[in-house]
Amino acid sequence: MDSNKKYWKGLEELNKTPEFVEKNKHEFAEPIPIEDVLTGGGLAGATPRRDFLKALGFGVGAVTLAACQKVPVHKSIPYLIKPEEITPGIANYYTSTYEGHAILVKTREGRPIKIEGNPNDLLSKGGVSAQAQASVLDLYDSNRLKSPVRDNTEYGWSQTDNFVKKELTAIKAGGKKIRIVSSTISSPSTLAVIADFIAQYPNTKHVVYDAVSYTGIIQANQNSFGKAVLPHYRFDKADVIVSFGADFLGTWISPAEFIRQYVQNRNNKSLEAKKMSRHIQFETGMSVTGTNADVRMPIKPSEEGIALVNLYNAISGTTLPGSKKLNNSNADKAITIVAKELLAAKGKALVVAGSNDVATQILVNSINSLLGSYGTTIDLDGASRQYAGNDAGLVEVISEMNRGEVDAVFFLNANPVYDYYKSKDVADGLKKVRLKISFATYADETASLCNIIAPNHYYLESWGDDNAIEGYYTIQQPAINPVYDTRQAEQSLLLWSDNPVKEYYTYVRNNWDKNLMAKGGLSGQKGWETLLQTGFVKEAEKPAGTYTFSHDLNAVAQTIIDHSNQIAEGNKMELQLYQSVAMRDGKRANNPWLQELPDPVSKVTWDNFAALAPADMKKWGYVDGDLVTIDANGYSVTLPALSQPGQTQGTVSVAVGYGRTSAGPVGLNVGKNAFPFYSLRNGTFQASAPATLKATGDNSPLAQTQTHHSIEGRNSIIKETTFKEYLKNPASNSGKDEEHKTYSLWDEYDHPAYNWVMAIDLNACTGCGACVVACSAENNVVVVGKAEVMRRREMHWIRIDRYYSFNDNGEGGTTREKEIAKLEDLDNVRVVYQPMLCQHCDHAPCETVCPVLATVHSSEGLNHMAYNRCIGTRYCANNCPYKVRRFNWFNYWNDSRFDNYLQNEHTQLVLNPDVVTRFRGVMEKCSMCIQRIQAGKLKAKIEKRPLKDGDVKVACQQTCPANAIVFGNANDPNSEVSKALKSERTYYVLEELDVKPGIGYQTKVRNISEIEA
Amino acid sequence: MASHSESIIREPLITGKDITYAQITNDILRPVEKMPGRAWWIGFTVASIGACLWVFAVSWTFWFGIGEWGLNKTVGWAWDITGFVWWVGIGHAGTLISAILLLFRQNWRNSINRSAEAMTIFAVICAATYILCHMGRPWMFVYSLPLPNQYGSLWVNFNSPLIWDVFAISTYFSVSLVFWYTGLLPDLAAIRDRAVGVRRRIYSVMSFGWTGSVKTWQRFEAVCLILAGISTPLVLSVHTIVSMDFATSLEPGWHTTIFPPYFVAGAIFSGFAMVQTLLLVTRKVLGLENYITMFHIEAMNKIILLTGSIVGVAYLTEFFIAYYSGSEYEQYTFLNRFIGPYWWAGCMMYGINILMTQLMWFKSIRTNIAIAWVLSIVVNIGMWFERFVIIVTSLHRDYLPSSWAMFYPTWVDMSIFIGSIGVFFTLFLLFIRVLPSIAIAEVKLILKSSSEQAKKKVIEHGHVDPEQLEFYKESLVVFDSVDTADYEKR
Repeated sequence: MDSNKKYWKGLEELNKTPEFVEKNKHEFAEPIPIEDVLTGGGLAGATPRRDFLKALGFGVGAVTLAACQKVPVHKSIPYLIKPEEITPGIANYYTSTYEGHAILVKTREGRPIKIEGNPNDLLSKGGVSAQAQASVLDLYDSNRLKSPVRDNTEYGWSQTDNFVKKELTAIKAGGKKIRIVSSTISSPSTLAVIADFIAQYPNTKHVVYDAVSYTGIIQANQNSFGKAVLPHYRFDKADVIVSFGADFLGTWISPAEFIRQYVQNRNNKSLEAKKMSRHIQFETGMSVTGTNADVRMPIKPSEEGIALVNLYNAISGTTLPGSKKLNNSNADKAITIVAKELLAAKGKALVVAGSNDVATQILVNSINSLLGSYGTTIDLDGASRQYAGNDAGLVEVISEMNRGEVDAVFFLNANPVYDYYKSKDVADGLKKVRLKISFATYADETASLCNIIAPNHYYLESWGDDNAIEGYYTIQQPAINPVYDTRQAEQSLLLWSDNPVKEYYTYVRNNWDKNLMAKGGLSGQKGWETLLQTGFVKEAEKPAGTYTFSHDLNAVAQTIIDHSNQIAEGNKMELQLYQSVAMRDGKRANNPWLQELPDPVSKVTWDNFAALAPADMKKWGYVDGDLVTIDANGYSVTLPALSQPGQTQGTVSVAVGYGRTSAGPVGLNVGKNAFPFYSLRNGTFQASAPATLKATGDNSPLAQTQTHHSIEGRNSIIKETTFKEYLKNPASNSGKDEEHKTYSLWDEYDHPAYNWVMAIDLNACTGCGACVVACSAENNVVVVGKAEVMRRREMHWIRIDRYYSFNDNGEGGTTREKEIAKLEDLDNVRVVYQPMLCQHCDHAPCETVCPVLATVHSSEGLNHMAYNRCIGTRYCANNCPYKVRRFNWFNYWNDSRFDNYLQNEHTQLVLNPDVVTRFRGVMEKCSMCIQRIQAGKLKAKIEKRPLKDGDVKVACQQTCPANAIVFGNANDPNSEVSKALKSERTYYVLEELDVKPGIGYQTKVRNISEIEA
Repeated sequence: MASHSESIIREPLITGKDITYAQITNDILRPVEKMPGRAWWIGFTVASIGACLWVFAVSWTFWFGIGEWGLNKTVGWAWDITGFVWWVGIGHAGTLISAILLLFRQNWRNSINRSAEAMTIFAVICAATYILCHMGRPWMFVYSLPLPNQYGSLWVNFNSPLIWDVFAISTYFSVSLVFWYTGLLPDLAAIRDRAVGVRRRIYSVMSFGWTGSVKTWQRFEAVCLILAGISTPLVLSVHTIVSMDFATSLEPGWHTTIFPPYFVAGAIFSGFAMVQTLLLVTRKVLGLENYITMFHIEAMNKIILLTGSIVGVAYLTEFFIAYYSGSEYEQYTFLNRFIGPYWWAGCMMYGINILMTQLMWFKSIRTNIAIAWVLSIVVNIGMWFERFVIIVTSLHRDYLPSSWAMFYPTWVDMSIFIGSIGVFFTLFLLFIRVLPSIAIAEVKLILKSSSEQAKKKVIEHGHVDPEQLEFYKESLVVFDSVDTADYEKR
């Protein structure tokens, strides 16, 4: 039933008053002006149709135009077919070998980004040198040759092959000589390839030489024991080490290995077992080894031989003809003491000398023989194959070339035009050679004089193997496809010698199948796969044979004395050439990481210099950077002078490896070439000579990363003690046994799961700088170049502070600048190294002052840095007592003034994709490799297990050959780091500020006897 | 009328004969209403060249990065924060004059407060630009403001003195600006009333419709008093907070509790010196000797002497505490100011700020315009060096000797500093061109009570103690705007 009832809301509605009707009409909306539009009046309406169309047209046009602007497109192409073994974001590791060390190559998405040590490496147990760390960068160097070159124009491989083979056939028929000049090759397969080549071309000879030569030792062993080898030294077995100018912790033979051996008897573990080796160094310039020695005696190069003669006399109790006292009474006294100590440690003593003089090394052999070192600290049977060069061989080849007897010469990893002392002879000789082929990866000084450059693969692109010491074979496998159109040198030699094996990979494989795998008990495909995973095979260790020296030394002594007299001739300055730790022999001069790695001792980057004794500098009124011209052996260079404490008075030391004239833009003309100062004496190259110095009057400042060298008596920074004191009280001078009452304004942070901390053993750190390069590689730290380093703006997240103290017969030595200035004798210098990085303070001064909370504390005890939040007030850096924060002064990634390497799209491939690069204007600093912590945590999570101690290793720790750095979780009482921090030797730098740093340092202990202390 | 006049032993605050209210308006508005003279044009040209240099150097910095300055890993602040603190300090005199002296009824402030306040505002502008310029990423400066954002709980760090600084400086600038502008209102109305055409319209808008009624004046007075009350704590708080930028750090040489009073005193010291530098020239060039008299000059010199001495005591206290603390870093830092590589900067700082200001003990020096002007400049040089020494010599050699480094300024550092002075003077010269450099209304307020002619009237009336009269006459000898022969006739 429909209701007719009507509801109304008011009388107005009921009555339908005209006002109500009118209002009601507009109650909800204004009417749409349909009628108006239809009647044509709409054109005058609020939004006329034409206006609307105009606006629409303009709008569409404008948007279209705006969209025409090309937006930069970064193509990121996913794997169309994903390789089975590659997962984006997950690193793959491949075993390989670098200079005979077994290493791991870390690759991401198919590109090597980091070199890491193979923890099972026989030589350094996972330690990796700065050079090896830096080597990955050279892979992407856009200055490498991109294809074969004939007479400075690009040439195809097949044309090259045709040309070379035609030439070689002609040369073989002509019967003139073919020479392969190389630096030491310790790869069994490469040597076999060369042997096969020689079999094909019998008039070929393989000549081996090294820019920095060890011929003296090799020939001395030939003369003394009938074995022309470089022995395998065992510093770990030596209780007393005496070195005459051998920089075995820096550059001598196998430093990464020797550091590990050496530190074994000096680190915390050894100290806790109440054992510490003693190391006495006699040397001219201040080397890394000298800085680590317990006692260091500055001697002139001319005194080295005499000192050894005197040492022999003191040990043997005889007197060799020609023996005389040194002019240096301190050194004389030291020789007597050292002789006693060596005899007392018979069988556990080792004497080494850096000299390349055969006679000197024969004398050293005889001393070691008297000390019973053969079979204990020196292994002649398991000999080293790292250096096998014969200086006379190279000299012979050059004269053959100059006589026009050579028709073909190959240069494999050899650059005599740069590093042979008579560079011009090589260049002239080359002009008379018909076919000159270099396998260099760059158009280096020698290669640019060759007809053909057949660029070799980089080692990370190559198959190969190595044999650093007898019985230890490492395998090399490519970690990436060749970046450029290069070909492995061995492959070229195989092709050119018509070897039945066409592929070098097959060749290596055959060689291992036949000869090498069995040595490690491996065989077949399975064995090969195992080998590629482990990286090496090792023969069962044989006990080293004992050798006794039994030759007459009279003639030897006479030769030594003559040599000394020759160097001391005319009372001139004595020049000593050495290798710098960063640049070594100069082969990696184009590597910006190494150029910017501060020299451990002088802290100089991007240059070599004339190191002079402070007393000499004062005498002549020189200041640092004054240019001096050094004239010796008919060659002269002008270099900036540097006052180097510890440098022997009357001597000047210059590093070789600089002054490349054809090395790529980074290394070009950095420093001056010192190789021409070498001389040939008795068939070996000699690194010292009488020299004259003359100031030019100009000054060229050096770029040092540290310019104040003493701790100003601030013993809360460096704490050191002597071994004697340590034995009495392990907490000696560490302050660990002192109690302080502290008050804090701050709340303690909770570290519920992890508390990441670090322990650094100052007694283990040798200052080598491998950690600095490793950190740069891991964390994409930029290189800023010489000018910026001079302005004190290097970006390294970890640095190694080096402090000198001068022993003024006082306790602890003199460390204050003002008092040092008054000292007469600056020879008696002691050095301590302190790796310094963000301390991740629990009460971090940087955190409180940041206005925008860009640097904050984590629940894991880390001090985070949020780059995106940073506005760059730099207050955090000012307030950091350790001065470890680094500011991006410029946009190093996009500023053409910093075009060192990383603005190149090839070289950028080396970047670690897990670490963001930093823009201009933000602060950065050590993050304790937070990306590695995260990766470790994720891995543990996937494997459904808690994180174990040792799962996460930070880059500096991982590379340290000395294991001086321990990182881990302090919440785990059994972690290695917790144990290390419990050591009585542990102290915290600037502890009194109560910033609660997360890095504990362990005191430096010096094994100094009463007499010297 | 006589009841309004003050004792004649007080020196007159306005000199000159036949000064009327109209005369005051005419005198003070002359530079605003006439084309500027040659001196102004020369000054303005030089200043604006400086300002252009500033624009260029700042643009250069923004384009290439802070690396264009001489800073390094050890010295993260140098000329930038030195300049910032210097300018903020200079600003302080204006606030002290306008606020504290108003509350204390120091009528002599009426002649100088307008310029001093303008100076404050321009100095704070210069200081604020330094804050922006010194940032690594100035385009991200908004992060330093506590703005709501999309990052959840991401806020500024209220523990950081730099955040306090952001608040302090922005408060200071806004309060100073409001106070200054409020004070300008009656004077703007005066200009408006005399102007024609476009100028009239502009000044009309700027004067906020000032009517000059009793009610307006009453409210004006009340607002000024309230603003003075608000500004007073700022005189002390702003530089206290600036000093905390240093004092709350760990840096030896910065980590000092004496900093707040020491910085405030230093700020007033340098601020008065800057007022002196500006007004000694302004009164001469604009012919305002009758309104800014020797009394004003001497009074300001006395304040310079007082605050300079406080600063001196603070220096000595610092040295004592460094010695007494036994902290080797602290001791080294203070020793380093004399024996370190920046010894010359230390000598400038201590030599000028302690020794030179002590010359002000002599009345002959306080009242010698040339010497006072030179000293006022010297004081600000000394105060610049004070900040340089505190910042650079503390930073360049702090805890770890391995990181000790030197700071060498680049041309950009220098250009920005010199340029900021150019910006300051450009603004100041524009100010005296378009706004009355002396508060007209406030000067009129004291004409009947404290002017020379009022005092003459009192003397003419007799009833003055002859001893007091003699004292009064003697005090007038140093006035360069008073003809003492007038009094001899009587």
